[in-house]
Formats: sequence, structure tokens, C-alpha cells
Amino acid sequence: MRTGVFFCQVENGKNLNIDAIAKYTANLPGVEFVQILGTAPRIEVNVLTDLIKMKSLERVVIAGDMPGYFKPVFTKAMALAGGNTDEIQLASFKERGASGEYAQDRAKAVIACASMAVPFSLVAVPAGNPVNHSTLIIGAGIAGIQAALEIANAGKQVYLVEQTGTIGGHMAMFDKTFPTLDCAACILTPKMVSVGQHEMIHLLTNSNVTEVTGKPGSYRAKIHQRARRIDVKSCVSCALCVDVCPVKVESEFDAKISLRKAVYIPFPQAVPNAFLVDEKNCTYVLSGGKKCGVCVNKCPKECINLDETDKIIDIEVGNIVLATGYELLDVGKIEQYGYGVYPDVLTSLEFERLTNASGFTGGKIVTKTKRFNKRTQQEEWFFSPDGVPPRNVAIIHCVGSRNKKYNAYCSRVCCMYSLKFAHLIKEKIPNVNCYEFYIDMRAFGKGYEEFAERIKQGGTFVIRGHSAFVTMNNGQMVVRGEDIINDKMVEFKVDMVILAVGLIPASGNEELSRMLGITRDSDGWFSELDYNGSPTDTEKGCIYVAGMCQGPKDIPDTVAQAAAVAAGVLRTITSGKGVGHLSSVTLNEIEARAKNIHTISGGHYVNQS
Amino acid sequence: MSIRVNPRFINDLVLFGAEDVQLCYHCGDCSTVCPHADEVYKFPRKSMRQLQMGLERKIETTLEPWLCYYCGQCSEQCPREAAPGETMMSLRRWLISRYDFTGIAKQFFKSGMTEIITIIGFALLTAVFLFYYGYSMGNIHIYDGKGAFLSSPFIHKFDLTLGSLLLIFLAINAFRMWYFTMIKGTKVPVPWWLYVKELYLLPWHFFTQKRYSECESKRNPKIFMPWIIHLGLMLGYVIMLILVMVFIERLQSGPAIQWQVHIFGYLATIGLVTGTIYIIRNRLNKTYEQYKKSHSTDWVFIVLLFFIVLTGIAQHIFHRTGLYELANITYIVHLMCVVPWLLRMPFSKWAHLVYRPLAMYFAAIRRDAITRREISLKSNSVSIK
Repeated sequence: MRTGVFFCQVENGKNLNIDAIAKYTANLPGVEFVQILGTAPRIEVNVLTDLIKMKSLERVVIAGDMPGYFKPVFTKAMALAGGNTDEIQLASFKERGASGEYAQDRAKAVIACASMAVPFSLVAVPAGNPVNHSTLIIGAGIAGIQAALEIANAGKQVYLVEQTGTIGGHMAMFDKTFPTLDCAACILTPKMVSVGQHEMIHLLTNSNVTEVTGKPGSYRAKIHQRARRIDVKSCVSCALCVDVCPVKVESEFDAKISLRKAVYIPFPQAVPNAFLVDEKNCTYVLSGGKKCGVCVNKCPKECINLDETDKIIDIEVGNIVLATGYELLDVGKIEQYGYGVYPDVLTSLEFERLTNASGFTGGKIVTKTKRFNKRTQQEEWFFSPDGVPPRNVAIIHCVGSRNKKYNAYCSRVCCMYSLKFAHLIKEKIPNVNCYEFYIDMRAFGKGYEEFAERIKQGGTFVIRGHSAFVTMNNGQMVVRGEDIINDKMVEFKVDMVILAVGLIPASGNEELSRMLGITRDSDGWFSELDYNGSPTDTEKGCIYVAGMCQGPKDIPDTVAQAAAVAAGVLRTITSGKGVGHLSSVTLNEIEARAKNIHTISGGHYVNQS
Repeated sequence: MSIRVNPRFINDLVLFGAEDVQLCYHCGDCSTVCPHADEVYKFPRKSMRQLQMGLERKIETTLEPWLCYYCGQCSEQCPREAAPGETMMSLRRWLISRYDFTGIAKQFFKSGMTEIITIIGFALLTAVFLFYYGYSMGNIHIYDGKGAFLSSPFIHKFDLTLGSLLLIFLAINAFRMWYFTMIKGTKVPVPWWLYVKELYLLPWHFFTQKRYSECESKRNPKIFMPWIIHLGLMLGYVIMLILVMVFIERLQSGPAIQWQVHIFGYLATIGLVTGTIYIIRNRLNKTYEQYKKSHSTDWVFIVLLFFIVLTGIAQHIFHRTGLYELANITYIVHLMCVVPWLLRMPFSKWAHLVYRPLAMYFAAIRRDAITRREISLKSNSVSIK
């Protein structure tokens, strides 16, 4: 069949060498004519008609990143030239994943298939590798927990790796969830306990993945487990060791607003429910075994072994799930809000710990109190359970989000949790004034808009207009803003400012992406294979993303995605066909297969169904 | 009341320097950081909004662009990098062209080439005239009578003619400004005595530029340099203008120049030299927000002024040291710069010397009128049953 191939790019494809692809295309069987029309061409129908007539083309292949865009023009030209309009084939580079390492070969293969009118998906079937039935899940937040439970409940082995001492992640720190105002712990802790007790889940806390080798279906992972120095099995969490420990450091779990000892349990419901020793701050560990060590003698169960060493664990897995979550943007670099300068300017996570009923103030929302630190000889501000509750609170949305200087993207959850904060403050403190400064209210989910409406009706001052800065006037914080809807400049004296800080990817993501060979987007989140079509898969087979590490999302979406990942993992394990990735198929193979189908079907592939 | 919308206004304004208005998503950060935004005059966000909506007829009645001194804090803060500060600057350029009834200002702002060609044209005309009339016939050290290069009474008359011509243009433009802002733009009744009450603001703002210094009231650390430099440049310029316009005969009255003229001349020169050098350096370095973007008219303004100052000083030195031949030539070059400079005054950035104090004056009157109106509304509240 006389085929003409036209290259029409919509965008400037930097990763593709169109000239080389065109040269390859010219040698394909049946291809009579190849033309590069360039980027965003303006195609004249009559010129095209004459061309099709002159070359007497029977089939036209439109190749490019978005060839469908040009199809109407070619259909018209083909019809005018008296050809068969069904013979217009699209060779779409973007849709077929011609990007990254194998872009050039993939693009060639796509055109080869199109020129023979063979569906690409029919020939580009990767060969199957046998799949190891165990799964590695990196990160044990709500996403990791959910995926682990789904897979383990299906009867498959799961290795759940967590870098802190307990599972639960950020969700364990929250007080309530929006929009239902359910208690976060009530949802999460049963799941955590199930993980801890599940026979199919091998929990590795205090651990990091250091090396991953192998191919889809059979990966080998090296896991570095830092010494916990306390035996998990015999520890009964009696907390006698805490009483004697002399070292005090900021608690990571309490977003650094309270202090903990060097031997600690992050929170009472932690899983595994055992204490651990902070090796970075423990006097015994730091002095190389010469000083301190008082906790060892105090322990009634004799489970503390301060000389325990780190372990390297080698495991073989078939699938890897990334659920590494997020961090907060360092808000100290956005100077105008005075974070770190004025005592009562909090980040969202700090407030979340402050208002949490199991937090160190018992859920009392208070302003900071001054005290004299004898060691540093300086005055310092701290949260005390007997502190004064604030009378006026300002909540500022979009701090660092939707801002070209920090994060250009929307962090997606801030609007809703800020509204939730307003509700909690109103609930806990009588006669409090709460001011929300927002740019756009993004209440996008089920029941969210109603929640936002409810908060607005509930007496919170919701101001459309972002406050740019916080100042201190004679010991009184002042927040200034423009109330755009009411056309006013507003100024409020407040006792507490809560910043809805933007979210950034977890700091270990870069290393992980290099280790696993998967890509991240420009903001640092892991890239999914296709945003709409396969939001849990990555470019590499048998590696999945779940939860925030793929992009900011709320808890329901995270759980849904984690469950979807579990389905994907189980699919590879139970199908029996094995897995492969398109990159394992070479151009020659695709070409040969396409030719084969082409000859069998007599020059034109007919869909058998 | 209806208002006509010009959907292409935002595109037209690109030539005046505002390129990123469309990026604004109205968070209000700029209005919040602006030390000048208050209850009555809320900007720059509101101006950005009016621009996005294409309210050309509304913007020409606003005074907000003139209340901004471009300290650049809004542009530094802007999360969308929509450059609100530069937009206010562009609106000032557009307003100058809008107040100007001849349409020359508009051409100059829209095309830098037109302006430069016009300036070169007038400079060459001046040169030809001076060579023919002055240089071929006389020498600069002869001040009057036969053999004089350009006699001082002649220059004095020439100055006054040119000056009154400019004043007529400026007066008409200022009248248009008053008509747009106070008649079309102020919706509340303005009693005549408010004009008298606030009249003191005109000289006050003209000579102190106090508002410019208030730009720094919220910044930490405060950067007062642009204000001081701007004030020095402006005062130097005004002193020099008065010297040239009114006391040119004393300036040229022979080798013995009066000491008053000397002192004022030197003071003005200090202001002019430091000002022009500071601004040119900053426009090249682009460290401060307000100097990052330079419109062609900004460059023409400051470079031409710099040439005038430079040639003026050179001419003065050559003249005093007796290098008459050189002094003649530098004098001609000096005048080649001065004549186009004077001619384009009402049509250029220079006109803000007049418009800005006027705007402060009008703004105060409008504010008083609005407050007066509100008070009267409150005292005579209408009860609806």
C-alpha cells in the first residue's frame, strides 16, 4: 500500500530527533513519501490534496506528539483526493510514551506500526518475567499502611519499611479529619495495630532502603535498619527509662513544639509499641559507651542494649510501592510572616499537635509562655498547658503555595484544614475571633463545599484577600490584609497566627528516584506513568506510587490510591503471566511482529472481535 | 451607570511597559505591603483588576497611579511575579499620554525609535542653526554686540518664548488632568473651599516629596537613597531651570559671574550629577526592583539629562580656563541636547514634575470630599420601614 508519512509536531519535541526518525521511516515497506511539516504547521487542504493525488497515496500516517489535532485537515484532503478516509493512521508519540531513555526507538516503533496499520498495543507486548510474591512498601504512613493491609489480607508477604520509630506518618499527628471531623486516630490506630499484628507483614521501623537492584518482578533490596537499642519483643512501655534519661531534645512527632528524652516513644499508641533510643542525642552512644547508661540498669525487663549495632537486611521482592509522603516547606525563609521571630506564629503541623487531644497540652489551645532557660541564660517561649488561650487568631492560607518564588503548585489540602482549624478553635475557645485570609477557596471534594459554607456561617471571618505580612506592635501582633469582596483594607490585632504552609516532597525522594530509576517532576514529586490512565504506575514496571509522594492529596484520595496500588500489585502476582516493561521490547522485535501480523491479515489488520 | 470596556487595553499597555498584568490572581499581597494604600486609595491590586477588565475610561479618572512612588515592595512580594509596581509605572506613562491632547506623548511612549529620531532631528536642526548663526560669526567669550557668539539677551528671549510655549502645553494638559480626575472621576460633590484648604499640599509635595520617604515606613532595613537622590535631582533640576530661564543674563554676564549664581549653580550641579549617575548605574545593574525594567523613555530621559549635565560642566570648565574654541563646540553640543529636551518636556516622563504634586493635591481634595459625604450620610440616615 502506498503510504505517506507526515510529521506534525504541536510542541517542540526536544527529546526526539525527528530527522533521524524520518530517515528510518523512509525505509519502511510501503512508505512512498515522507514529509516533515515542522512545529505547529499551518496545513493548506488543497496543497495536501494535490500532494496525495500526485503521489497517489493510499494511506496517510500523521506522526507527532498530538497527531489527532491535525486529523480533520488530512481527512478533508484525503476525501477531496478521492482516497479512503479510513486509511488515516495516527502515530502519537506522547500517547505511546515516547519519552525518556527509549524515546527515539519508541517513536520509530509507533510509526512502523501505524504505517502497517497494526495497532501498537497489539505488538508491543512486553515479555513476562516471573514475579516474586513479596512486596516492598517504602514509607508507613496512611498510604503505606493501607496498601500493606490490602496486599497482606490477600495473603501475600509485605515488607513495610519506615524510617522513624513508629508507623502512622503524618496522619497520626492530626487531631481531626476534614470534612467529617472524625478523629484521625480513631481511623488510623486500628489499622496500625492490624499492621503490627499481621502475620504477612514484616515491619521494619527505623530503617532505610539503601540499594535496589534487579528488574521488574524480581528486585533485590538492601535495607539498613538502624539499631533501636531496645528489644521490641520484651519492652512493655513502662517508661521507667524515660524518667532517668538526662537528655532533652525537641520531639519530631510533636512538630518540635515539645521536648522528649533521648530514649522515647513517639506517642503512646505507637506501633511497634516499644521505646527506642535516639542515637544522635543519647549521651552513651555519643560518648562511645563511656558516659551515662543509667537507663540500662533501671529497666525491669532488661531489654535495653545500648551497644546494639545496625543491621543490613537483604530481601527479594517482586513489587515496590513508594509511599514516602511529604514535608512542610521551610517557612522560615518566607520572612514576612515572622515565623521563628514572633513566638505565636505557628505552622499548620505545629497547631495540629497543639490542638490534638493526646498532645502535650491535652488539646488546650494556648499561646506561648515565657520562661528563663538556666542553661542558655536566655529567655525562651514555650507552650505550657497552663498558658493563656488566644482571643484572636488569624489563619493565613497559601503560605508558599501558588507562589512562583516557592511552590508554584497548589498544596490542595490547606484550604480545608485551615477551615477545620477555624472550627476547632471556635469549638474549644469561647468568644474567640477567627480570621481566615484566603486567595481562592478550593473546597473540591465531596462534602467540602458544604463544610466551607458551614464554617462561614459559624461566625468565622472569612476574608478573600491574602495577608502579606505579620508585624509586631508593642507586643501585639497585627495582621493586615485587603478584604477584596468588601473593598476594604483590614487590620486585626491577633494573639496567634497559623500559617497554612505549602507541602514539598519528602527529602529522601531524590535519592530514591535515583536508586530505583524512576523520574520526578519539576517540583520533586514522583512522576506517574499517565496522569489520567495509570495514576499509580511509574515508568518502571512493578514500581508504584501511592499517596502524597506522587503529589499533594487529601486522606480519602491517598487511601483510594493506596488501595489501587494494592490491586496493581496483586494483579502482577496472581495473573500468572509475569510482568515486563515496554522498555524490554526492542524496536526490531516490534517491527518483526508488526510485519508478521501485517502479512497474516493481508495488508490490513482487522479487529477480530 | 454604564462604562465602556476596551478589551484590548491590556495589550495596548504592553508598549507602555506593563507585560504581566494578566498573571495577577488578586491575592491582595501588593495592597497589603504598600505603605501608601489606605481606605480610600487601595492599590495596586485594584488598578490591576481595572486593567484586566479593560476599564480604560475608569483608569483615566483614577489618581492611584500617581500616588505610587515605585518602591518595588509589591513586585518583590508578588507570588505570581505579575510586577504590580511596573504596572503602576506603565499606568503613569499611559496617563501622561492620555492627559496630553496633542497625541505626541503617545507616539513617544509607544515607539522609542520615533522619540530618538525626533530628538536627533531637532538636535541637528539646532546644530545647523547654531553653526550658521553663531559659530561662523563670533566667539563665546564676547557676550554682547558684534562678534558675539549668541548674545545673552537673545538667548533670554529665546528661552522665555520656548518656556511660555511649554507652559501653555502643560497648562492645557494639567487642565485635562483636573477635568478627568476631579470632574469625571469624583462622584461626590466637591465644594470650592476644599481647593483652597488643601492648596498648601502643592508646594509641600513638590519641594519635599515627603510621600516618597514614607515608602520606607514598613521596610526593614529602610532604603532612603532613592528618595534622597530623587529629591536632589529634582531640586537641582528646578534650580538650574530657574537659573537658565530667568537669570541667563547673569549667567552669561561676562567673566565676573555673581556669587549667588555660582553657588546655586554648583549646588544644582551636585544634585544633577549624583542623581543621573546613581540612576544610570542602577538601571544598568538592575539590583533594585524599581530599576529592573527600563522603558525606552526612561533611558532617553536619564541619558539625555546626563549629556546635558556633562556638556554643561565641560563648557563651564573650558570657558573658565580660556579654551574658547573647545568651549564653543561643547556649548553647541550642550544646546543640541537642551533644545530637544525642552521641546519634549510636556510630552515625556518629565511632565510628572507637574502631575505628581497635582495628583497629591487632587487626591487630598477627593478624600476630604468623600469623608464629608460619609459624615453627612451618617448624620442624615434614611430609615426604611
